Amino acid sequence: MSDRIYEILFIADPNLGEPEVDALAAQVQGLVEKDGGKVQKLEKWGKKRLAYDVHRHRDGYYVLLAVEGTGALVKEVERRLKVMDGIIRFLTVRVDEELRKAERRKARRSLDEEKRRGRGSAPARDTEGVQP
Amino acid sequence: MGGDRGGGGFGRPGGGGRGAGGAGGRGGADKKDAGKRYFFRRRKVCKFCADKIDYVDYKDVKLISQFVPERGKILPRRMFGTCAEHQRKLTVAIKRARHIALLPYMGE
Repeated sequence: MSDRIYEILFIADPNLGEPEVDALAAQVQGLVEKDGGKVQKLEKWGKKRLAYDVHRHRDGYYVLLAVEGTGALVKEVERRLKVMDGIIRFLTVRVDEELRKAERRKARRSLDEEKRRGRGSAPARDTEGVQP
Repeated sequence: MGGDRGGGGFGRPGGGGRGAGGAGGRGGADKKDAGKRYFFRRRKVCKFCADKIDYVDYKDVKLISQFVPERGKILPRRMFGTCAEHQRKLTVAIKRARHIALLPYMGE
């Protein structure tokens, strides 16, 4: 089975320094790669205000990873994230199917539009010619 | 736009109120366009359809928060005129965003 694409977004403790957050991200990345996954993207959003307090933290350091791998990999990574110090919240979302669907819809829409333009322009010109 | 009007008319919490205001607005828009040209009748009110957003991303707080009032509730479809499909996706996105503290579960 082909691998799936997941997004792992986690919030690190805001009291950590930049290098420590980098280390955390590298640690997660290492976990993914150890289990045969690939990290496609690593984005650091920086410190952001949380919408509500999480473990008495008002801010959090957001890090986003796009990961290619299997369900087993996600299970393992999530298990590790749960016990990792300095990570106050995480969320894993499978995105490949949704993105593929969105892509397909986009392709179909552009096709439809082309068709409509081809069909719509001809009669429009006709009526203009008749009216005067 | 449509959402504001709906909010004024149907500000009661919970269900109960019919979406007559929203439906009327949509019907009016349809009629106007139908009179112009039969083919271009397809007027959409759903913001996601209008802006051609296929994937409602939970990370896009700017977009999603437009559909979440201060209070933090997810409002029924008639408030914003989103289509059924996008409302479903929006709901999931809001819930995800809440979990990761991008949106509040409960506002002030």
